[in-house]
Parts: sequence; structure tokens; C-alpha cells
Amino acid sequence: MQSGRLLLRKAWSALLTIGFVLVLNFFLFRVLPGDPARAGIKDPRMTRAAQIAIHQRFGLDKPVLNCLASLNPLRRGPCLVNPLQTQLFIYINNLLHGELGISYHNKIPVGELVRARLWNTAVLVSAGQALAIVLGIAGGVLAAWQAHTRIDYAALITSLVAWSMPTFWLGLILLFWGSRYAGLPIGGQHTPGLAAAGTVDQLRDAVRHLVLPTLTQTIIYLAEYLLIMRSTMLDVLAEDYILTAKAKGLSTFQVLKDHALRNAALPIITIVALNLGFTVAGAVQIEAVFSWPGLGQAIYESVARRDYPVLQGAFLLLAISVIVANLLADLLYTWLDPRVQAPA
Amino acid sequence: MNTALLEVRALHKHFAAGPAGWFKPQPVVRALDGVSLQLQRGEVLALVGESGCGKSTLALTIIGLEAPTRGTILFNGEPMQRSNKSQLQALRRQMQMIFQDPYESLNPLMRVGEIVEEPLLVHGSEPAPTARHARVLRALEDAGLKPASEFAQRLPHELSGGQRQRVVIASALVLQPALLLADEPVSMLDVSIRAEILSLLAALRAEHGIAVLFITHDLSSAAALADRVAVMYLGRIVELGPAQQVLHNPQHPYTRALQAAVPVANPRQRHSRVVLQGETPNPAQIPGGCRFHPRCPLAEAQCKANDPQLQVVDAGHSAACLLLAPK
Amino acid sequence: MSAAPANMWRNAARNRLVLAGAGMLLFALGLAMFAPLLAPEDPRRALLATTYTIYAAPDGQHWLGTDDAGRDVLSNLIFGARVSLTVGFFASFISVAIGGSIGMAAGYLGGATDRALMRFTDVVLVIPDLPLAIVLVALTKPSLFNIILVIGLVGWTGTARLVRAQTLAVKERKFVHRARAVGASDLRLITRHIFPMVLPLLVVNTVLVTSLAILEESALSFLGLSDPTNVSWGQMLNYAFSRGATSSGAWWALLAPGAGIVWVVLGCTLLGYGLEQILNPRVKSHHLMRASIPRISAVQSASPAEAEAHALLEVRGLSVDFVAQQGTVHAVQGVSFSLRPGEIMGLVGESGCGKTTLILSLLRLLPAAGRITAGQVLYHGRNLLALPEAQLAAVRWKELAIVFQGAMNALNPLLPVGRQIAEAVERHEPSATAAAVAQRVGALLEQVGIPAARGRQFAHQYSGGMRQRAMIAMALACNPKVIIADEPTTALDVIIQAQILELLNALRKELGLAVIFVTHDLGVVAEICDTVLVMYGGVAAEYAPVNAVFNEPQHPYTHALLAAFPDFSRRHKALVSIPGQPPRLHALPPGCRFAPRCSSAQALCHAHQPHLLRVGADHYASCHLLQPMLPAGSPLPQPA
Repeated sequence: MQSGRLLLRKAWSALLTIGFVLVLNFFLFRVLPGDPARAGIKDPRMTRAAQIAIHQRFGLDKPVLNCLASLNPLRRGPCLVNPLQTQLFIYINNLLHGELGISYHNKIPVGELVRARLWNTAVLVSAGQALAIVLGIAGGVLAAWQAHTRIDYAALITSLVAWSMPTFWLGLILLFWGSRYAGLPIGGQHTPGLAAAGTVDQLRDAVRHLVLPTLTQTIIYLAEYLLIMRSTMLDVLAEDYILTAKAKGLSTFQVLKDHALRNAALPIITIVALNLGFTVAGAVQIEAVFSWPGLGQAIYESVARRDYPVLQGAFLLLAISVIVANLLADLLYTWLDPRVQAPA
Repeated sequence: MNTALLEVRALHKHFAAGPAGWFKPQPVVRALDGVSLQLQRGEVLALVGESGCGKSTLALTIIGLEAPTRGTILFNGEPMQRSNKSQLQALRRQMQMIFQDPYESLNPLMRVGEIVEEPLLVHGSEPAPTARHARVLRALEDAGLKPASEFAQRLPHELSGGQRQRVVIASALVLQPALLLADEPVSMLDVSIRAEILSLLAALRAEHGIAVLFITHDLSSAAALADRVAVMYLGRIVELGPAQQVLHNPQHPYTRALQAAVPVANPRQRHSRVVLQGETPNPAQIPGGCRFHPRCPLAEAQCKANDPQLQVVDAGHSAACLLLAPK
Repeated sequence: MSAAPANMWRNAARNRLVLAGAGMLLFALGLAMFAPLLAPEDPRRALLATTYTIYAAPDGQHWLGTDDAGRDVLSNLIFGARVSLTVGFFASFISVAIGGSIGMAAGYLGGATDRALMRFTDVVLVIPDLPLAIVLVALTKPSLFNIILVIGLVGWTGTARLVRAQTLAVKERKFVHRARAVGASDLRLITRHIFPMVLPLLVVNTVLVTSLAILEESALSFLGLSDPTNVSWGQMLNYAFSRGATSSGAWWALLAPGAGIVWVVLGCTLLGYGLEQILNPRVKSHHLMRASIPRISAVQSASPAEAEAHALLEVRGLSVDFVAQQGTVHAVQGVSFSLRPGEIMGLVGESGCGKTTLILSLLRLLPAAGRITAGQVLYHGRNLLALPEAQLAAVRWKELAIVFQGAMNALNPLLPVGRQIAEAVERHEPSATAAAVAQRVGALLEQVGIPAARGRQFAHQYSGGMRQRAMIAMALACNPKVIIADEPTTALDVIIQAQILELLNALRKELGLAVIFVTHDLGVVAEICDTVLVMYGGVAAEYAPVNAVFNEPQHPYTHALLAAFPDFSRRHKALVSIPGQPPRLHALPPGCRFAPRCSSAQALCHAHQPHLLRVGADHYASCHLLQPMLPAGSPLPQPA
């Protein structure tokens, strides 16, 4: 079966990419300067013995990779270390068992930490993206249909300006206005002290904390989706089959619904899916402005602390989510586009 | 005895048609399935057939843009070896190709003079710029673009379809080749312009002795220009002979069907004709036995089993059909 | 790919978006270069801050107020431009250089190299940019050089994919094949042919990458990862945010630096958009646009008197203009013909003669720039041009249907073919049940020789001939009286063409259809047409029954066309071509359209356009050199 093979081939390709990302990820944090032991441990009076003990605890005394000059220039001797004892192998082995390591800083498993933060980021991102997709696509269709009229120019200019704004800056401006004039909270996920209040109050509080970050997300991504949809739609509406549909006596609305939208949706899907993969990473800026305890903030904090396991885990998760999003988009495209499924 | 200018012997060209399945071998398109022909100096040979018959592939293989899977190509009696770079370059000076689409055949960023000059630069034939320029102008004039110096300054988008095709011809002429491969040179041009280009090709043959392999699906153009005609079907030549013979006294059932299908520009000669049914054949699935038998109105039992070769039916005229009495 | 990238730089100078964007960028560049001269204060000078100077509101001395350390925001803003622009340009240069090289290598070399390079690109692509940049900058030294390097190294993947796609596309173009056939070396192909075609796209991409680099730098600085010795706009925002601008209400400290970023990024975006418009000029209109000018400027009466008896469709003096920036183009002028039930009229002409415009105007399907300036289209005596849109939509397809040229594009590739036929039926017979519709679709397909089961398939699964048959089936869906077939067999092989012609003939006899058959092939015309309308340069050159046209052509163009047509049946016919080429519609000759190419042209011909004269029974031609046969008052009126 044609599409069965296609699916397998794409899944294999995705797995291969994950494999490469894994290795790249691993080396990234080994190659960079800065001893995690010294940076991650808070006590400045650490003795040499204590350092060695910590190195041993986290397996940092083992060679990174067999026979690759482990960045210590003083090392001599043959590379007859058992390859199973290298850090790389240990890392991959652990991964296959679902273990992402232990945070140097918090001493809790990375998986736990990252999972909790990821959920927070997902909550932050979902509403904004959903709104942006719906409004952006609708706006793009409208702008394309009314091409070169005032509606179109208005949509175009506002989108271009919104797209040119840095995400964090839009957040700052909204935060300034929201906190000073609209009584919205200045940051965080919920108001401390409301944990004892009823569910409705807690819910209201959570929503109030979500308004500004969601608004920021929506505006930025809406602009992007509108611009893309508009240009895709313009191309589709100039195609010959649109003229055929019109010649058949179909109304403008019917032509838009049955022919144009369907054909324009295809390229949009790929772009939206790709974006979704990156949105979690893009949340870094919004989390910084609104003090949101998500994955982006986790990354930012871990950088300062040289907490490599967390960074590694977070990066891997982000990369895998992008790869999976791409794969899903690919498959969705294959499912929707008859030309791929059953070639001529 | 005169060696033919171009000779093709049992040429095969296979393309992969998709990935191999779990249990099936990789499907193969046999675009050229054993083609042999000869072209003499100064001769116009028309290669006629429908889309998918392999005529363009044949031209691309002869000119070296595709590598043959099997078989030999001989130019002036010498076999063409793609591995021998210097020989290949020398051969490329002798044969040039014209493509179908005049709108795509010219680099939109280059001026006409530069386009025509390029073959000279590539082959280093004329190191002196003034001599080069003179040759470029002469080629433009030979192709009918006068005043040549003015045309040399133009950009392709400023020219009409017919003029662009002339530029292509000029760039083919500038190296003074012995052979011109013309792949559907007029099918994208207006009717009133086609005659010009066809006349130009005829004049080039008459004045410069250039041989032309003229590929077309239009029997009328072939009739107007060709000395000999070869009819291709699914990667094989099914009929070959003098133009008048093949086009007006066709022996192979396929050629007959082609001839019957050509509309005649005379309303008084309307008559119902046997129109061949069925689709243009799919080159990925060549039927066994005679490749034409599924559509042939005269097919018999033996046609399903045996694959006919070209056999002589008249002076210089041969056809590949089991039902023909050999001469 | 656009037709004339050679004109790109000239067009660029005239494009509004390009001018706006370039202007904005140049302004910022000017600020950056002349910062020491323009800024009121030097922000690098140490300053003693007091509580009065911190976060002071904008006033005469400080136009944009002061920041958390009492420094002038305006000066910081001006100096900040230096950092943003420097990082933007240099980082994008690195990205584009890396991405461009990888993309072109992958595209040109193909095979294993391509796969390896693309795998590498994919791996870098899936690691998110900003977190990676954060890590790299934080763990090395946050100097300006490092930041530029990191942003450049992280952001090249988009360029690589773009350049690869473009290289692949250009590599397949015919002029590259020609150069290879001549024996050009790889180096020559790349430098002389491929790279110049990729370059414009690369320029547009560079502008986009610059804007992304500037945004990235501002985000990094906001997060505190910038070079502290060079205060950028992002850094200003970092200070403002972390040092209480919000609580102090110091909106100027938040607004100004951000506005600076938006200014520069917007400039880049506009510039990129404008350049892209020039590079890939989209067709200015699409099929669903409302025309801003009324489509019909002539006064239309609903049912003019003296409709010709027996005529199903009568076109009188139809004229169509196209309104473009360069001026008005007269695509069709004063064309008249009539069609009876069961009649096949051949509409013959070469490219640019206006035949497609003519048939589109019959059902008012012209693009937005088209305007019907004169004439009437009478169907059963009703003037179609006077009908309101809603009523016309009911007539479309039900009475007159079109079989478009290029069936591959005229069918929606994502809908099954049967569905598209059913759509037409449902539109005009809304009361029909689903089962009835499905049955009708099946019957239609069978009628044209396609097995009904194949209605479930898509257009790309049909062969060329089958697609054309499907288009015919679709046109028949609502039992129209008139079918307009626009070059239905031009792209088909001769045997398939014969099959289609046979089919059309059979349908005409069976259903009593009238057909307008547009073609440039005189053989086809002789084969099936009853009457012929020859068009040239937008006017009717000759209109007569087919025998008259072929045996006694009156118009010099018809003569010449017949002489130029390679006729298979006549063995030794010499080919005579017509010198010159068909007129371009925006540069029409003042007199007879054919005069520049006509061997019998007189002075009169070059000066005045001839009218359509009646030169025989049912035979009309427009040429000054002909004698009219009957006095005026013939059923076909002279065009105004």
C-alpha cells in the first residue's frame, strides 16, 4: 500500500532526526565552557575532594566519548576505556529507559520538573494559538477576497506592524496598560493566598492571569497567520478551477467554501503545525515578561545555574515536539492531498 | 561506402518509475526499447509519434544529456563514449539541440548576443573577441534576425515566440554543427509563424548541409519538411522510410491510424474514418508480444505472442508488423 | 518565476513598499551613523543620578524623558540604533552565507550530498532558535561579536531550504539544459545561469533574515544577555522592566525603545514585501474580485427589436476593453455572429486575437479589469448583458456551458471529478435527490466514454484525453443548449483529438447542441465546423460557412492563413508564412489590423479600419478591397 510505505518512511526519517538531535544535544552541553560542578553547586568553599565526589556522583569523571580527546589536554595514554563506560552511552541508555537525569540544582528528576513546567507553558500557549489560528485564517480569507480594497489594506498594514513587534515588547506594553488601567495582575499564574478560596474564585483568578499573556500571543501569531493565509488565498483564487466554478453558476460564497478554502488550507496546515512546534520555545519571552513558571523560564534559570541535565532534557523535549509536530503535519497533508496518496 | 553521420544501434534507455515495493521489483519505464536508425549528412529525418513514445528521450540520449542503458551511438562512425570528456566536447561542437518551448529556452537575464556567444565561449573556439562577435552576428543573420547588431542587444522578453526560437537556432548554428536535433521546434508557435521556422530549417539544410533530426507529433509539419520519416511507438521504431511513402502509403497499422486521424484542411474531404480507440499507451506497462496489439484493429493471435522486428516492405521502407509480407 | 527579473531594479525604484521600507531603514541608518552629532547627550558618559532625574517625564530638555539612571532616553535611543543595525546586518550576512552555500550545494549536487546536507539542516532546524541562542550566548561571553556569531549560526536553516528549492527549480529550466547540452562546465552553469536566477530571491530573503536577527538580538538583550558596553534597545527595555518602569508609570521608557525596534523591523518587512512583489508579480486580480468600475459601460436594453429568427445565440457588435495601468486595451471590437441549434461554429485565430476574451464575455466571466463597452448578447432574444448577476448565474451552465482549455488546471485537484460534475447538477436542480444526482453523474461519464466508477477519482489520475472528456461531461451536466469549447484538443495527441472530435459530433447530433469551437487548427475546423469566424487583432476578419471560407476566402488574412497551414493531403504544397507577427493588443495599428502584414495593403488600409461587409450569401469579411454584395440592412448590423 502506497501510503503505508510513505508513513513508515516518514516515521523512520523522523526517528533518524531524533537520533541526531540526541547526539548533538549531548555534545552541546559538554563542549561548552564552564564546569557544571562548580557552577551548579552553591558552596564556594568546596574542597577538591568534595568536587571529585560530586563529579563521581553525576558520572562526570567518565570519559565523554571513547577515544575522542576529552577536552582535557593533559590526558595521555591509550583510549582503551570500555565504550559502555562513556558518558554518551550512559546518557543514551538512560534515555531509552525514560530517565532524563537529575537536576544538579534541585536534585529532583529532570523528567518531573520538565513535565510540570511543560504543562504550564502548554496552558499559556493553547488559548492564544487557537484564537490566532481562527482569527488569522478568517482575516486572511477576507483580506484576499477583498484584495486591493480598503479592508485589505487595513488588514495588511495592521498585520505587518503587529508582526514587526518583538513579542516581549508587546507583552510589556500590554502589561503596563493592563496592570495600571485594567486592573489585571502583574504576573504569575495565580494570586498567592487564593489557594484556600473556592473553585470558582480560583478559576476566575487563573483566567485573569491568562488574559494578557494570551492577548500577546494572539496578536503576534494572528498577524503571521493572516499574512500567510492572505497570500495563499490570493494564489488559489487566481486558479482556473475557480473560474470554472464561477462559470457553473455557483455563488461567491459557494466558490469560497467548496473550492478556495479547501485548497488554501493545505499549505496552511504545514505552517501552523511547524509553528506549534516552535511556539513552546517562543514562549520564553512571554514567560519572562509575565513571570510565568513554564518551560521557557526553566531554560532561562538553568542557564544561569549551569544545570545541564535540565537544559538537555528541556531541549530534547522541545526538539522532539517540533519533530513530532512536523511528522503529524506531514501525515495530515498526505491524508488530505489526494495527489500524494494516489499518484497519477 | 558512406558512413552515416549519426547511427544509433539497439539503444535502450530505462528509467526508474518509483520505489521498489515489498515483494515487487522496482518498476521500470522502458522509454527506449531497442531503437536503431541512421541519419545521413544533410538529411532531414522526421521522428513522429505521440506523447510518451520516447522521441524526446531519444534526442536527449543522443545529445548526451541522458546516459543510455544499453546500445551504442556512433557519430561519423565513431562510438560516443560519455566517459571520454574531450571526445564528448568535440562531438558537442558537431551536434546541437533545439527545444520545444521558446519561452523557456533562453535565460531571461542574458542578452541575445551573450546567449548566442555562449557556445563559443564554452568550447573556446574563437578566443579573439572581435572574431567571436562577427560569428555571433553571422549566426543571427543566418537565423533570419536582421539587423543582427540590433537584435544582439535585446533581452528575451522583448522578443516574440518566433524570434526567440530563431535566437535558439542561431545559438545552435554558431558552432557550425553538422547535425541539429529539433525537438518539437514549432508546436508552441502560432500557425502563421510555423511556416517561417520550418522554411528556415529547410534553408539551413540547403545552404549549409546541416542534417536535421526533426521530432514532432504533427504529421503535417513532418510532411512539409522531411526526407525520411520514422514512426515511434512505445520506445520502438515501428515504421521507417521515405516521407512520401510512410505518410501516404503507410504499412504499419499504427501509422495508418495516425494518418487517418490527422484532420484535413478541406471540408469537402470529410468522411467518417476508423478512429483508433483507447488511450495513449503508458510506457511503464508495455504489452507483451507486439506492443501495439491491444489497440490494433487487425490484431491476430500471433500478435500477442511475438514481438515483430523491422522488416523491409519496399525500397528503403520498413515496418515492424507480423502481418506484412516481407519483400 | 517572474518573466523579467532583468527589470527588477528599475521596478524596485517605483514600488511604494520598497520606497517606504528603504526610507525607514535609511533613516535609522542615518541616525546610527551620525549618533554622536544627533544625540543631545552621550549615554556613555557617567552620570550622577538624583531622584529628580530618574524616570523624569518627557519635557523640553528630555524629549523622551529619562530612564532609571537619569539618562536621556532619546540619546540612548539614537545610539541604540547602532547595535541593532550592526547585529542585524552582520548576523544576517553570516546566516545567508552559510544557508546560501549549503542550499546551493544541496540543490545542485543532489543525491547523497543533498540528503546529507538536508538531514543536517533538519537537525539544526528542529532545535528552537531562541533557547539555543540563549544557551550559547550565556555560556560563552556575551560580547557583540559573540552575539552576532551566535545569531548568525542559529538562523541559516530557512535560507538553506529556500535556496535549495530555488536551485532545484532553476536547474530544471530549459535554458540550463541547453547550456549543459552545449557542454558548459558546472562552474559556468552555476555562476552564469543558476546563481543570477537565485540572487533576487536571496536578496529578499536577506532582508527577512535581517529583521529576524534584529528581533532575536532584542529578545536576547531583554533577557539580559547582551554586551553591557553597547546598550541596545532590548537592553534599554531590560533595564526599564527590571527597574520598575511599570510601577513608576514611566511609559516613555517602555515605548521608545520598542518603537525603535518596530521601526527598523517594519522597514525591513516592507522592503522585503515590496521586493517580493516585484520578483513574483502576482496576477493583479483573481476571479472573485468585484470590479471597481462597472463592467458594462454601454447602455443595455433588455430585448432589442429584430432578434433574428431561428437564432439561438446572437452576438451583435460586441466590444471589450481591458483597463490597465498603461492604458486601455481594445481586446475585442465590434464582433458579431449568430448560432443556430445544432450548428458548430469554428472560432479561429492566433494568440492575442481576442477569442478567449470574446467567449468569456458572453457569460460575463471577464477578469476585474475587463469591461464590455458595446454590443449585445442575445440568447433566445434576451440580452444576457442586461441581466442582473443573480439571474445570469442561473443562466450560466444551464443554458450555455464552457469546456475550458487546459483541463488539468480547470478541474479542482482536491475534489473527485464526479463531485465537481454533481456540483453543477445540484446548483441548477436543487430539488434533485442525492441518488438522482449520482445517477446523472454516472450517466454523463458513460456518455463521454468514461467508466462511471472513475468518478470517484481525481483529476491527476486521469489521462489528458480523459480529462477533456470529463470536462465535456461536466459541461453537459445541466443539458445546455450551447457549448463553448475553448481549444479542447490543442494539447492532445492527434489520435485522441480524433476521438474527442468524433464524440463532439455525435453529441451534437444526439442532443441538438450548438457549439462554438475555438481553435487555431484549420484542419479541425474543416473537419467538423459548419460556419467559421476568423478573428485577427480583436476584430472579425471573416465570417462565413466553412466551404466558403476554405474555397473562396475573401479576407487576405484568411488567404494567408490557409497558405501557411501545412496541409497533409496536398503532397507538394509549399509553405508560405505571413511576415511579421500578430499585433500586440496594447499597440494596435490605427487602420486595418492586418494592414502591416498584408501584401495587398493600400494607403486607405493603413488609415481606416474596415467595417464588416456582406460579400456573399451569409459571407462577411472586413476588408477595404472587397465589394459589398447586398446593400446595408442585412441581418447582421454594422458595428457602431
